[in-house]
Amino acid sequence: MKQIKDSLPAPDKKTDVWLLAAVLILVAFGLVMIYSTSAYNGALHFDDKTYYLKKQFFATSLGLLVMYIMSSVPCRFWRKYALAAYMAANLLSIAVLFFGTTVNGSKRWLALGPLSFQPSEFAKLAVIVFLAHLISSRENRKNQLRFLISCFVLILPIVVLVGSNNLSTAIIILGIAVVMIFIAYPKSLPFLWVALAGIVMMAVFLSLESYRMERLLIWKNPEMYEKGYQTLQGLFAIGSGGLFGKGLGQSLQKLGFVPEAQNDMVFSIVCEELGLVGALLVLGVFAVMLRQFYVIAKNSRDQYAFLICSGVFAHIAIQIILNVAVVTNSIPNTGITFPFVSYGGTSVVFLLAEMGLVLNISKEGHSLNA
Amino acid sequence: MQRKKAYNRKKFFFVAVAVALILTALAARLVYLMVFCSEYYGVKAKDLHQRERSIKAARGEITDRNGTVLATNKTVCTVSVIHSQIKAPDEVTKQLSQILEMDPAEVRKKVEKVSSMEIIKKNIDKATGDEIRQLSLDGVKVDEDFKRYYPYGELASKVIGFTGADNQGIIGLEVKYDDVLQGSDGKILTLTDARGIEIEDAAEERVEAVAGKTLRLSIDLNIQQFIQQEAYRTMEEKGAGYVSILVMNPQNGEILGMSNVPEFDLNDPFTLTAAEGLSDDEKQDALNQMWRNQCINDTYEPGSTFKIITMAAGLSEGVVTPEDRFYCPGYKIVEDRRIRCHQTRGHGAESFVEGAMNSCNPVFIEVGLRLGADRYYKYFKQFGLLEKTGIDLPGEAGTIMHKKENIGEVELATIAFGQSFQITPIQLATTVSSIINGGNRVVPHFAVSARDSQGKVSAFSFVPKEIGISKEVSNTVKGILRQVVAEGTGKNAKVEGFSIGGKTATSQTLPRSANKYIASFLGFAPAEDPRVLVLVIINDPQGIYYGGTIAAPVANRIFENILPYLNIGRESAG
Repeated sequence: MKQIKDSLPAPDKKTDVWLLAAVLILVAFGLVMIYSTSAYNGALHFDDKTYYLKKQFFATSLGLLVMYIMSSVPCRFWRKYALAAYMAANLLSIAVLFFGTTVNGSKRWLALGPLSFQPSEFAKLAVIVFLAHLISSRENRKNQLRFLISCFVLILPIVVLVGSNNLSTAIIILGIAVVMIFIAYPKSLPFLWVALAGIVMMAVFLSLESYRMERLLIWKNPEMYEKGYQTLQGLFAIGSGGLFGKGLGQSLQKLGFVPEAQNDMVFSIVCEELGLVGALLVLGVFAVMLRQFYVIAKNSRDQYAFLICSGVFAHIAIQIILNVAVVTNSIPNTGITFPFVSYGGTSVVFLLAEMGLVLNISKEGHSLNA
Repeated sequence: MQRKKAYNRKKFFFVAVAVALILTALAARLVYLMVFCSEYYGVKAKDLHQRERSIKAARGEITDRNGTVLATNKTVCTVSVIHSQIKAPDEVTKQLSQILEMDPAEVRKKVEKVSSMEIIKKNIDKATGDEIRQLSLDGVKVDEDFKRYYPYGELASKVIGFTGADNQGIIGLEVKYDDVLQGSDGKILTLTDARGIEIEDAAEERVEAVAGKTLRLSIDLNIQQFIQQEAYRTMEEKGAGYVSILVMNPQNGEILGMSNVPEFDLNDPFTLTAAEGLSDDEKQDALNQMWRNQCINDTYEPGSTFKIITMAAGLSEGVVTPEDRFYCPGYKIVEDRRIRCHQTRGHGAESFVEGAMNSCNPVFIEVGLRLGADRYYKYFKQFGLLEKTGIDLPGEAGTIMHKKENIGEVELATIAFGQSFQITPIQLATTVSSIINGGNRVVPHFAVSARDSQGKVSAFSFVPKEIGISKEVSNTVKGILRQVVAEGTGKNAKVEGFSIGGKTATSQTLPRSANKYIASFLGFAPAEDPRVLVLVIINDPQGIYYGGTIAAPVANRIFENILPYLNIGRESAG
């Protein structure tokens, strides 16, 4: 019975328009904000106001093409490449350690002629597809706990590799993995231990290096520390936005006060220019996007598709939460980009690839045994 | 292939709810920051973005009584470099050293110095500043400022005074009327980026500067120029130390001219003629000496011109009448002293009027002694000689006088002909003015009115005080003093066809052993109703030092020129 249902041709469903609309809105909004925040820095460093915009526009165009392809190819097609992709992500991360180019003191990029590529962004997608494939292909597991542990062990190399030069992204990857495994695992209790272990590890990690503890002090009182400058400037930007903001393009904080405003701190400039109303609208669009992931997952045909959706959901949710929390000084400062809006070519290409995957799942339609 | 499990959905739902809760909390955090902390952060951010640039208020001009500008402002520029903005240091060094005619090595040092801003040169004229600005070199800034400028250079330098680097008055009227002349600075609040560069087209808040008021003086440029020229001529002819000439209106105290030569260049007040080998303190002393206004800051023994006061006191008290007869043997014995008359062989028998015409010491000693110390001192005080005149210039010196209880016969005798005490020239001119104008002790002054930038004029008022002397006495004094000029010692001041009153004086300065003299003459016209008073003081002349011989002719030339100029009629017409 089950076999028959599975082999039936998929009902002709249309692409999820809500998700597509949310993606397109965010992509367009992202480009506008990139221009607004980067014009000053572009003019200053490259004598070209549109320097960053041009690069981002190119990456976004490429990303939209990738999204279209991903949404057209059945998501199961990628399953056979899941392991390969994961291996490639590991190899690329190793390559970065040896051949990476350094920007702003971090070795995160691989230069490919005029283009540069950030393997850690690719790693997020690879981990989502790999875990979805891994978990959904093992049926009737005997020892659930062993499987749980083996999943974590398999993910560990990429987390360590990425974490060696980009802790924030490593945390995101680990977070995505934890959420996906949590959703896939029948019980909840072991995750309490995972959470506790995480907290203990965090505490040990923080106390190992004094500068990490300093971050906590800065977080509590950014005005007292010189290194609290960026955080404080972000707060100035957010606070001076008020209810309706200064108007698009009118930010003063982006003029060198918030360093590299087009990067991690871009949301603070969104707040300054568009106010509370604008900021909440942007978060609202993300909320719609996250809801669509949930709805599409619920309506997906099988556990693989379901886990892809939950992985993408985890990815976007974690990045939004951490970024907004950092920008509003709700948690200590750590470099996390704001999806679709922060400047970064690799990031937007793979984000759009993930969107393509989910859009394809949405087209596949309802699972009959749900 | 795995199918979805029910718990998959349940757990995803759990995650979704958790995410929704966290996002809600973050939204609440945003509301807190952007609504409740908005003002706090907004103000802090504004402080960060705004740079205050002050707009200097133009200092008020100073004009003579007819509106001719004596002190004004010139736009000057300051050229500075901002290290972080310089793109072509070689070009900047080359151009600046060339245009400013400076040593390229010195300019290079400043260009290469790592500082936020380095001043290359100050006080360059506007044309040069504009030339540099037109090059639009990155990192080179040209700021405009006002610098005080005195079109007539030395004219009335010790009266007008000058200003310092911050445009604040340092001496003279510039400091006395600093409040009037100094406007209030405005400011521009501009927005800047993090490097401090102003944002173009950004709205700026402005508080406009209010220019200082224009101060109109009682000085008449033509009279001032004439007396200054006469003072220099006299100083050179007589080899004098300095010469002071004062022209004032005895009716209201307005000073028409005051010159103390040598004057100094107001546009270059810190340059001494002989400054080599002086320590800083000595240099400062020399500057203070150069800036001294001898009419006001210095006291001297007035000598015979003070006989006017003795005359007025004696006549008021009735101890002497013009017809009283005296005898001068060439000296007068007072107690154990033999006080000589300047005419050693004696004036013989003479009336009081003749005594005045001869400037006979024994006659005035006699009048002084008739008054007695108490009464003399009473008049001294009553005429205002113990107080300062209240002239509107800083640093007026006080009178140096015996204590009343220390005035014996000898002291009284010497006071009577203007010795053994010291007053300022302005004190003498003021006291004589109040005697000859019928008893109003006027306040000598320069300031007439102040006009603000809207054209509103406010006049200064200087209220005179009664000194309690009758019209008759005043008229008698004027009559006697007219005789002095007509036929007496002051005859060298006589101008044909004009009625002039006056008195000469020759006083020996302290220490007497130095044999230095001050020759002076005080005159006024018309004698019956004085409208102008002239005081000429020649300090330490070489050769002949008699006031009647060397000071009176100066007054003569002054009267000759300024009486027609002031439309003071000839006797026949009046």
